[in-house]
Amino acid sequence: MTLPASGRFPVSWSLHGALVLLGVAVAVLGGMEIVLLAASPFGPLWLLAEPVAAGGIYAAAGLVAWWRRPSNRMGALLVAGAVSWLVAGLVNTTSPVLSVPAVILSVVPAAVVVHLLLAFPSGRLRSRAARAATVAVYVVALLDGLPQHVFAAATGPDGVLAVTDRPDLAALSADATHAAASAVLAATAIILAGRLRRADRARRRVLLPLYGYGMLAVLLVALSAWLDPLLGAPTRFTVQVALLAGVPVAFVLVLLRGGFARTGEIAELGAWLSTAAVTRPGLADALARTLGDPSLQVVFWLPGRHGYVDAAGAPVALPAAGAGRAAAEITSAGRRVGAIVYDATLIDDAAPVRAAGQVLALAVEAERLTAQLRAGEAELRRSRARIVQASDRERRLVARNLHDGLQVRLVLLALDAQQLAKDPDATTAMSEAAEALRAGIDAAAAELRSFVHAVMPAGLIERGLAAAVEDLADRMPIRTRLDTDGLCGADRRLPAAVESTAYFVVAEGLANALKHARADELRVRLARTGGQLVIEVGDDGIGGACLDAGSDGGSGLRGLADRVEALGGRLRCDSRPGAGTTLGVELPCGS
Amino acid sequence: MRIVIGEDEALLRQGLTHVLEHAGFTVVASAADAAEMVRHVAERRPDLVVTDIRMPPSRTDEGLRAALEIRREWPGTAVVVLSQYVQRRYAVELLSANSSGVGYLLKQRIADVATFCADLERVAAGGTVLDPEVVALMLARARRDGDALERLTDRQRQVLALMAEGRTNASIARQMSITDKAVVQHVSHIYDALGLPPSDDDHRRVLAVLRYLSRSAADASTRSSRAEKDKHPR
Repeated sequence: MTLPASGRFPVSWSLHGALVLLGVAVAVLGGMEIVLLAASPFGPLWLLAEPVAAGGIYAAAGLVAWWRRPSNRMGALLVAGAVSWLVAGLVNTTSPVLSVPAVILSVVPAAVVVHLLLAFPSGRLRSRAARAATVAVYVVALLDGLPQHVFAAATGPDGVLAVTDRPDLAALSADATHAAASAVLAATAIILAGRLRRADRARRRVLLPLYGYGMLAVLLVALSAWLDPLLGAPTRFTVQVALLAGVPVAFVLVLLRGGFARTGEIAELGAWLSTAAVTRPGLADALARTLGDPSLQVVFWLPGRHGYVDAAGAPVALPAAGAGRAAAEITSAGRRVGAIVYDATLIDDAAPVRAAGQVLALAVEAERLTAQLRAGEAELRRSRARIVQASDRERRLVARNLHDGLQVRLVLLALDAQQLAKDPDATTAMSEAAEALRAGIDAAAAELRSFVHAVMPAGLIERGLAAAVEDLADRMPIRTRLDTDGLCGADRRLPAAVESTAYFVVAEGLANALKHARADELRVRLARTGGQLVIEVGDDGIGGACLDAGSDGGSGLRGLADRVEALGGRLRCDSRPGAGTTLGVELPCGS
Repeated sequence: MRIVIGEDEALLRQGLTHVLEHAGFTVVASAADAAEMVRHVAERRPDLVVTDIRMPPSRTDEGLRAALEIRREWPGTAVVVLSQYVQRRYAVELLSANSSGVGYLLKQRIADVATFCADLERVAAGGTVLDPEVVALMLARARRDGDALERLTDRQRQVLALMAEGRTNASIARQMSITDKAVVQHVSHIYDALGLPPSDDDHRRVLAVLRYLSRSAADASTRSSRAEKDKHPR
């Protein structure tokens, strides 16, 4: 289940309508400004209209970003930048009402670029240093033009602010604002360098050119006084505007294409919650899309275990503080239900994460219960496998102990009886009795031999599955075809529990076929494919057998099916009447 | 005759040593694991090795592997392998390498000291001894998979089993209380019925019989189905 495209939600429709209106408003303002500038005597219209064009680019880029990333504030910031360009462009109008504020605000577009750099990628200023630097850059921008115009001769369009012609004061204040601007730009560079250092390699590759370009554009504005003798004022102006106008394009490209995932409205999560089906595998996906972190993970709190588990029920630990990842807790009715683990370098503010988590608290609670069930299930499966392994170990132990103990004792006892029988001092009756005793011991030994073999066949202990199954097939009273080519040699033994389970499956399958199938021929195939041991026991008999049949054979198979399932395998029985019976088992056996 | 014993159970090792010494053999060394046994064989060059299949450290088939190695490295040393349980595969492996001078017996056979000692003598003299149980298993399997054995009489099948156990004609005659001549007649009939190449050499005879009995079920079934077709031509 994925989050539906943002366009389907009413909340987005109203946003899109507003954005269209905003775009129309900016276009109308820009058009009116061009009409005003056309009447201006201060230069050719193409030169004077450059800020309007830059504003248009900012507005277009901002609206695209806003449209595509509703919860990201970069779009709004870019639109604000567009407005600052339109205001700055009014400097060259003839009406003082318009040009006076424009003079004061003429350097603000450059300040907006610094603001954009510091607020990227979310559009929010998250550290105190970034906030301070942004405030400082706006203050410097506002104060930049003002003293020079106040202490200047009242000529040209800037002349409206002139109070007194004092070049000395003008130079002093220019030096002061230059120093302040340098300090602010240096601080910004330090903050951005710190961010680059903390970013991972992929992100750094995108951020480095973006930061470099933005800083260069701002620096060229700050260095206007030195550039004029080189380029001449109109060219310098055009270059500056072009560089600054390229900034929003670069930002939007990086935002949309540079691996900064789409972030959606938290409200969209609510819509997803109400429309989606009851079983939602996409909880983490939905959150990841909303918060723009593809690595986001939802974990669930198990009070009984006092720990977190993932959706599959496997235990997980929350990331340590200061690591690249962070966790935000989710509570429902005051109880802890889970946590969202996210990339702290991507999302450096926990508030939206926590807010999104709260929206989904109920869904998380539902998934938590599922995860709890799965954790219990996994534990049950492990314990079943342990029981099978333990019973297997015990069987092997019993077989070994009998082999090394009782079987040896019976050989020695038979030897003693034999010596007694051959004793030259013994009477004939005694010799005969001793001979009978030896025969009895031999018979007991033979019985013990078949018992030990049933507990755990010698072939399985000595050589492994293929040898043991071969011995089994050798002893079948009807023809038995054996195919173990797909099994590796003796040098690659399978896990003990897998080997003995497979052996007992074959033994039970063959015994059932002999007993019930009325077959002429039996087949056994063993193969290893991709971490699975495949076992097939088939016959050409009457078919119609069933796993849960009440017959004694069926109950034996039921027990084996339990054993197979406990080891994570599957057992199926294909037995149409008249088509023979094939017992198929797949057992995971490692790679 | 000089013998090296390989057996990890101390009581049985002692019992076996005692039985063999008492029967007039010389036990030059006894070992509790396969590596030690092979070392003794390299140093003492015995006439015969009697070994258990399961030996430390892994207690799987070390004894059998050591026996095969000894037959390969020191062809003058015969080998008798003992086991609590016999299977066809081990008999085939023991006989496939260098089949003269090998024996494969159930451990329980030790108790019949006279027969056991005679078997050891036979193996040391370059003969072959297979446990009746493993021969019976192979015979039953061959009979199940092909119909050539069905054409034999019970008595001929009995002779075939004794041949497979590695017995000489004289020994077979004694066992079945018939004349040597009768045995020769049975043997030649068996050779005809199974299509075996005639041979006077006892050892080759054992091999031919065992090879016949060890054919895979697939070989046997193609032959028998061919026979079936011959019987009912369309």
